[in-house]
Amino acid sequence: MTTFDADGITLERVREYVWEIPQDGDMRVPARVLASEALLEEIKEDKTLEQIKNTTHLPGITNYAICMPDGHQGYGFPVGGVGALDAENGCISPGAVGYDINCGVRMMRTNLTYDEVRGHEEELVDSLFANVPSGLGGGGIVEAGVDTVDEILARGVDWALENGHAVEDDLLHCEDEGMREGAEPEKVSQKAKDRGKNQIGSLGSGNHFLEVQRVTDVFDADVGEAYGLEEDRIVVLIHCGSRGLGHQTCNDYLRKIEQQHQGLLDQLPDKELAAAPAGSQLAEDYYGAMNAAINFAWVNRQLIMHRTRQVFERVFDRSWEEMEMELLYDVAHNIAKKETHTVGADGEERELYVHRKGATRAFPAGHPEVPSAYRDVGQPVIIPGSMGAGSYVLRGGENSMDLTFGSTAHGAGRLMSRTQAKDEFWGGDVQQDLADQQEIHVKAQSGATIAEEAPGVYKDVDEVVRVSDELGIGDRVARTFPVCNIKG
Amino acid sequence: MGYELRDHTADVAVAATGDSLANVFAAVANGLAAASCDEIADAGDRFSLAVTAENREALLFDYLDELIYLRDVRAALPVDHRVDSIETPSAASGGADEWQLAASARGVPLSEIDAREVKAVTYSEMRLERVGTDGDDGGWEAYVVFDV
Repeated sequence: MTTFDADGITLERVREYVWEIPQDGDMRVPARVLASEALLEEIKEDKTLEQIKNTTHLPGITNYAICMPDGHQGYGFPVGGVGALDAENGCISPGAVGYDINCGVRMMRTNLTYDEVRGHEEELVDSLFANVPSGLGGGGIVEAGVDTVDEILARGVDWALENGHAVEDDLLHCEDEGMREGAEPEKVSQKAKDRGKNQIGSLGSGNHFLEVQRVTDVFDADVGEAYGLEEDRIVVLIHCGSRGLGHQTCNDYLRKIEQQHQGLLDQLPDKELAAAPAGSQLAEDYYGAMNAAINFAWVNRQLIMHRTRQVFERVFDRSWEEMEMELLYDVAHNIAKKETHTVGADGEERELYVHRKGATRAFPAGHPEVPSAYRDVGQPVIIPGSMGAGSYVLRGGENSMDLTFGSTAHGAGRLMSRTQAKDEFWGGDVQQDLADQQEIHVKAQSGATIAEEAPGVYKDVDEVVRVSDELGIGDRVARTFPVCNIKG
Repeated sequence: MGYELRDHTADVAVAATGDSLANVFAAVANGLAAASCDEIADAGDRFSLAVTAENREALLFDYLDELIYLRDVRAALPVDHRVDSIETPSAASGGADEWQLAASARGVPLSEIDAREVKAVTYSEMRLERVGTDGDDGGWEAYVVFDV
């Protein structure tokens, strides 16, 4: 048997790109890592493998805890982790969803070509930066009272439609049509709402960004056509989440679990994995609150997208409808969803809380939960790369249901810490190099953010996507390359 | 006494020391401020805050969580932290059954600085330990990972 020794943790090769850490000690199931050897060499450098092993201690974990090709160390659960926990006898874990509930990515296509945008990049990046709130304390597109926050939490993008920030078609191209059922605004604390009310329609900072991109390659012509992607066309990618409202919700529930379910917590090797037992009041409450935060994040990305349409209207002096600025799709990559999956050799169907933290749902063609617009070709998956590398559009692969509970990677995955990045890069240099060498126009609130997010701090997104494609969990459809990038 | 920012792949960790529990709490909070902003301006007024929790680690967690919450709702980055008192349940007046903390900080308006968002405090790998074995003032060490 081929093995890979990662400084004390031995992985056994199941087949190409599938590695297993066998069940041992208090692990309830084995852990799996989906990676090439090149990616494994990077993954073994931090605590990713220890964290994915720790995840297997969660009650009700089914089949395996799985680390995606872009996995890296997070807190508790690794980033790039998928854990399916039995919804009847298992648990739900706020820490395994992450602080930024429904952090995710959406892509809007346009009929503009790269040539039409050339010469306007500076104006475009300046106007986007001026009109899309970013960073800390930059406010939001909408200033709202708590009543409005409650409506957003309950209704998601439907609220945006009613208030002129969306069109009907936007809802049809979003998971759950932009409205998560089972959202319970009353389960979100007042503190969380107070943080959220000034941040509705804002990017935040860290790795969040808005990017104007050009399509450089279409690998699959049929699916590309179904997604409306053509080479040389301009698209807009938006990456952000539920801001302070989501962060506060996660912490509120971590603390409640600590106070009410200490027994379960004592069984876990990392306190950050804190979970509420399925069926408990707290599990129900968290699920309702998380669903509400999911709606908040969808509205956040919707408002930013709609504002972007208005910016394009001013810069290119024509209506956004004329530029066919339509939502391609919106994917969440920090989320837990109750889903039905076939598990075990006897093909038993079970309800599971599928936790995807830094992982993207990737349902294949024909799956009933893929919106009807894409059901024949499979769900679009958007994988953002760093600001100096391409991003990818994939489609849910045929093998995703068997291998990963219908999931794939979510990005390039970090390689270098933020502190190290700031030692190695200076924001101004990075910004200048991107402009001079690659014609990428970057504007940020803080030079330090540019340094921390320099292309060199990320893994090779091409390799992450290649492994996803080879495994058949997410197939390559198209590649895009940055033109303008704004961030916090 | 003080803090250091430590490497963490995606996030930021603060390692802090203090000659008392109150001082190590303040040192971690100063580390949080440093992780949010490289050059802290002199502006802003001091404000007070109070936190209660069921144990020592939870008190540290809730203190840091409260600072992040206050940053967002006041639109000001809390810096120059002072922890005036930490009372244990038995010593607390009126027979309170929780740990109590009273602290203050200066809130620098976010509009005056280039601050980055630290999303949340985490329990991941958190340590809060007394150091030294001889004497009663061996001091304290803390290690906290923040989600960025």
